[in-house]
Amino acid sequence: MPGWFRARQTEYAVPGVLLAVIIALLVLPPIWFLVQGSLYTTNADFSRGELTLEYYDRLIREPKLFTSSLNSTVFAVGSSVVALLFGAVLAWVVERTNAAFKWLAYLTTIISLGTPFILYVGAWLFLLGKAGPINDLYRLLTGSSGVLINVYSMSGMILVEGFLWSPLVFLLLSATFRTSNPEYEEAARICGASVWDTIRRITLKLAMPAVLALALLVFIRAIEAFEVPALVGLPGKINVLTTDIYLDLSDVVPPDFGHASSFSVFLLVVVGILLAFYSRLSKSADRYQTVTGKGFRARMFDLGRGRHIATAVILVNFFVILVLPLLALLWASFLPFFQPVRLRGLSLLTLENYRAVLNADYYLGLLWNTLFVAAVSATAAMAITLVAGWFAARRKPGAWILDQLATMPLIFPGIVLGVAVMQIYLQVPIPIYGTVWILIIAFVIRYLPYGMRYSYAGMLQIHQELEEAAGVCGATPMTTLRRIIAPLLAPAVLSGWLFIFLLAARVLSLPILLAGPDSQMVAVEMFDLWNNGQSTELAALGLVWTAVMTVIASLFYYTARQTGATAYGN
Amino acid sequence: MRSLLRAVALGLGLMLTATAAFADYESELYAKAKKEGELVWYTTLIVKQAVRPLVAAFQKKYPGIKVRYSRANSSGTATKVLSEGKANRIIGDVFDGTSNAEALKDANLVEKWTPRGSSAYPSQYRDPDGFWSATHQYFLTPGINTSLIPKAEAPKTYDDLLDPKWKGKMAWSPRSTTSGAAGFIGNMLISRGEEKGMAYLRQLAKQEIIPVSASARKVLDQAIAGEYPMALQIFNHHTVISGRKGAPVDWIPMEPVTNIIAAIGVIKGAPHPNAGKLLIEFMLSKEGQKVLQKANYLPAHPDVPALVPTLKPKEGKFKANTMGLKMVHRELKKWKKIHSDLFL
Repeated sequence: MPGWFRARQTEYAVPGVLLAVIIALLVLPPIWFLVQGSLYTTNADFSRGELTLEYYDRLIREPKLFTSSLNSTVFAVGSSVVALLFGAVLAWVVERTNAAFKWLAYLTTIISLGTPFILYVGAWLFLLGKAGPINDLYRLLTGSSGVLINVYSMSGMILVEGFLWSPLVFLLLSATFRTSNPEYEEAARICGASVWDTIRRITLKLAMPAVLALALLVFIRAIEAFEVPALVGLPGKINVLTTDIYLDLSDVVPPDFGHASSFSVFLLVVVGILLAFYSRLSKSADRYQTVTGKGFRARMFDLGRGRHIATAVILVNFFVILVLPLLALLWASFLPFFQPVRLRGLSLLTLENYRAVLNADYYLGLLWNTLFVAAVSATAAMAITLVAGWFAARRKPGAWILDQLATMPLIFPGIVLGVAVMQIYLQVPIPIYGTVWILIIAFVIRYLPYGMRYSYAGMLQIHQELEEAAGVCGATPMTTLRRIIAPLLAPAVLSGWLFIFLLAARVLSLPILLAGPDSQMVAVEMFDLWNNGQSTELAALGLVWTAVMTVIASLFYYTARQTGATAYGN
Repeated sequence: MRSLLRAVALGLGLMLTATAAFADYESELYAKAKKEGELVWYTTLIVKQAVRPLVAAFQKKYPGIKVRYSRANSSGTATKVLSEGKANRIIGDVFDGTSNAEALKDANLVEKWTPRGSSAYPSQYRDPDGFWSATHQYFLTPGINTSLIPKAEAPKTYDDLLDPKWKGKMAWSPRSTTSGAAGFIGNMLISRGEEKGMAYLRQLAKQEIIPVSASARKVLDQAIAGEYPMALQIFNHHTVISGRKGAPVDWIPMEPVTNIIAAIGVIKGAPHPNAGKLLIEFMLSKEGQKVLQKANYLPAHPDVPALVPTLKPKEGKFKANTMGLKMVHRELKKWKKIHSDLFL
């Protein structure tokens, strides 16, 4: 190792330690609180009671623990498969082939990512429900009185959750496909490999780390999901691990923190084991670096006649993931109360819901508040993980710890993190409880792992030779980061920012306990409307909100692509 | 004769003094409230049906006081207040609900205060310990989608619900409130006794009741949408509200109907206590009660009848089982456990 390089290593020590401390201060206290919460009883006034092992005892004796764990696993595996299947095929078709109507895929993704889950799940339950148009059509055609699809089942849950996550898979994988160097594919084609062989043996293999990372993200997210288990699973009596935690926290006064925490610690262990597997899988990831110092430009596969099939994939996806749920919401938003799709309903149509949404200044404040919280959280999370991701990818001293710390919040189900953060800041004398700042801190913790995946995955594709070249030319590490890494990473960072922004703007489980009257969030309001039995007003609010989010999402998406193009000198 | 006249005059005089005294008290409270400028109300009422009209009427009568509200069910509301109490940073001023008042009292988070307006009410509408007052009452019973179940074919008694033809056709909220499975279970145990009640519930558990994890309002909406023909333990006045908009829905007076009161109180250490108190006085006043009446709720004030009187036992000729808030608070955990043991 040359002398200048060793000197550089010590220069990284100070910022590395500083970064580790910041991340540790964010992610460790909630874990500490969680473990503590599982070991103490809670008094009527929320203060801590006595030390007990009762909750673990109950957990072990829980007759439903095995069934719930099994259900959780089946649900998570199933929805990952559905999401990957829909998302990955679409990403490849859009980024690497000459299919038509590609813009529809982006439109679908952008709008879906801006749509809160609660709205989406509601729309799907309406479409696939016993009285929904699909079962209605089935009864009309067959004359039977039964149902074709029972959405309140495991397959219903998997389908809806898979649909929820497929736009995300598309977004992340399309970045990978777009920035991966096509030289290998071209080499394979020149050597006489068929399109299919090239996909199977080159494209898929190169995309493997990204695909695995994504599968893991969706899997974990599905394990801790609560909208679908609560709204789809519970009526079908399919309990998963989170259903119990959710009911413990939302359904008893005072909330059963002990039981919920012991469940969460169990989840923490499960997810921890999964993450250990993942890190072993990705150890040899530098084999997959394809963006090197050499210039390249992505080229598209000509599918010939297969082009029409590819176009059909885009159209079906557009119709299923976007058009159907939006139509369901549109129908509901004009009704005075929820009604199946019937001619009779037409006479009831009203603008009452839109009037209620547009006239309330309350909703305007809600909108600004949500945008502010989401933007600040996304910026903070990406800033931290940009640096951490670089440390981790370049295996700098302490990189392992940084990666572990930043990835750790994955273990938290949103609702548990909400409770943990709330309790911490209730005890700390910083007066942020009930303000937007407590939400922002919680969101930053929550989305560090996501930011880390973006930064890290983007980083892996950039070969170290570029930095070494900068170093040889006398650039300091900060200059290298600023002038070389940041611009090259810009597409990944902006995609990550956009992703975190959109997630934060729509997530429900985390802010549901933290949002107060001064810090209300759109998703929480929507959940209240759903609970309240104001589903039709919810549909109207949802459509207005989705329209706003779509504008913002497309703006950033466009910027991300532009920046990406500049960074690669195209 | 003279003594009678004197008595009448004295009575009138007292009444006028009382009215004047109340007016003084009211304007003094309003002046203090106006200085506070706003209040935060943690409510369990359905926003569209009740909160919006109440807030509009209050803000019209008392300009300069802005009401901010946040809706959740009883336990959600209690959780908010409890955490704020723990943080020593109370944000909410007023809370209402059915199964949260006693829990908050236990945590020493309710201000002991008797509104002037509550003196017009029968004693069952006041907390004997002086922490809360009742604004209205609820009756919980099954509701049906009338285009799926014609009224004549609807079940009449709780035993009718055991008929195999209703298997998989009934939904309820699994939340531990009186307007859900827990309340239904409590009603059975109280009205039939522990042993017979449990025997009935074991039978009912075979009917595969669908848990819709939301408020009873939402469960009823699912029935209206045709998702399930029957909704158990829903608010009877909600069927009237939806029915007036043309929804195919009705309620069944299944005896005994669960009856519970909705309590309201001031949060201890509230940042806007006077504005909070003014809102409560308004809700207890005839004027406020008439807003609830117009919204088709069931006012607690003896002089403000329900818009549809048959929603209440005497006029509707049905028997009700009135549950006290203290008893509900004490028993709720047990009912919840029976629910998860037998039905989930």
